[in-house]
Amino acid sequence: MVSASIVVPGVLASIALVDGVLAGFRAATGRNGLIRKRGYYLVAMRRGLVAGGAVLGCLALVLAVVLATAPDPATRYGDLTHAGITMLWFIGPYASVVVASLIGYAVLPRRPATFLILLGLGPLTLIRPWVTIAAGLTAAWTAPNLPTAACAVLAATGALAVEPWVHRRWYAEPA
Amino acid sequence: MPIVEISDLVIRHDPATGARLPVRRDEVLSALRTAGDRRGARIAAALPHHDGMLDENAVERLLVRTHTELQRLNEELRIAEQLAELLGPLLTAVARDGERPLVVDVGCGIGYAIRWLAVSGVLGDVELCGVDLNAALVAEANRLAAAEGLSCQFVHGDAFALPGPATVYISTGVLHHLRGGDLGAFFRAQAEAGAQAYCHFDIAATRLAPLGAWVFHRARMREPLGRHDGVASARRAHADHELIAAARSAPNLVPLLYRPLRHSNPFCASIRPVIGVRPQYVSALRNALGPSARHLVTESRSTRRPW
Repeated sequence: MVSASIVVPGVLASIALVDGVLAGFRAATGRNGLIRKRGYYLVAMRRGLVAGGAVLGCLALVLAVVLATAPDPATRYGDLTHAGITMLWFIGPYASVVVASLIGYAVLPRRPATFLILLGLGPLTLIRPWVTIAAGLTAAWTAPNLPTAACAVLAATGALAVEPWVHRRWYAEPA
Repeated sequence: MPIVEISDLVIRHDPATGARLPVRRDEVLSALRTAGDRRGARIAAALPHHDGMLDENAVERLLVRTHTELQRLNEELRIAEQLAELLGPLLTAVARDGERPLVVDVGCGIGYAIRWLAVSGVLGDVELCGVDLNAALVAEANRLAAAEGLSCQFVHGDAFALPGPATVYISTGVLHHLRGGDLGAFFRAQAEAGAQAYCHFDIAATRLAPLGAWVFHRARMREPLGRHDGVASARRAHADHELIAAARSAPNLVPLLYRPLRHSNPFCASIRPVIGVRPQYVSALRNALGPSARHLVTESRSTRRPW
């Protein structure tokens, strides 16, 4: 059986990368008035993925330093995994509902798809920063030591930074 | 107290020539403060100005940005698809042999609906034209249409003073801008211009609408002006019975509501249309709509805002 020490960072990293793709999409929205802009959005999502990957890489570097400088790296790894589980309690259900809403929007007829937008995707976008902040702060609050708490806050901050970064870098002005 | 939209205040045109007129910043702020809209006044106060007059170029750029963001909202809610679903049967009902129908979008902004119809081709062989009083928005609509090589045109001016009569007038999100007698005059102008029909979508006046507008404009738009005006639009949307009463003042055009609010799921009723058609085409329209014709109604009682 695969242990939590592998699954938790794997799931969090996957969610972060998918979130990066969606952040790229959001960063590019409302900036291009063309009707056919599939290519435009694909580029934006790729940029979001790269930016999300870069943030994830920086976080991995910090985590590596935190582990390398810990008195007992195995215990510290366990603390970080526990913090990751705490974050997943918030992020996991949110991500599941978002993915289900996106699939529903893509496959359902127009009226129920609009219903999903009005009830799901719009409000979900609005609460995303708060869910991320709640996940980071709760993980930090319950962490047994300062480096683990700092990593949780850093992870949440990094996830929230991707969209504004991509927007300012590529989509500050209309296309 | 009146509910005002900043975008209605920062642009002014000469009614006779359509030319832009300078706008005093103080007048905009005063109108918003008189309406008790302190947030709107703060947004307007941040607009660039020279010697107390709003910077026309900056205002134009802001409105183009806001309309581009609004297009993203329309895309997500598939507004143009909803329009096409009704416009197709409407054209089938009123089209005459040998004539190429002309569809005119009144207050087209950057022309999203017309350009979407041109790209999709769902209406077949029709002439598509968008008209707006704002020259900057029309220029942007033409630029976007040219960039995609679309077969449609956009004109700066009065939609009811075109060289030839439109077969069908359409609009999305325009009706709530027309207050008092202007709403009835809008419908009468279409009858006088010789239109065979009209189809105007606007925000459904529900009690949930301002909350929904706040959520969506907050989540999807960046411009403070767009966020402000989105909620104001929902608050000033006309009730069904007000639309029908105003539309009845247009001679020889029978007003119909499609999926009126009391027949709708409140969460699906973000916008809904009022349709008008020459009396001789009403039954043809019902035939063209098929089973969906059951959603057409001619009456709407005066009630409080539902939901």
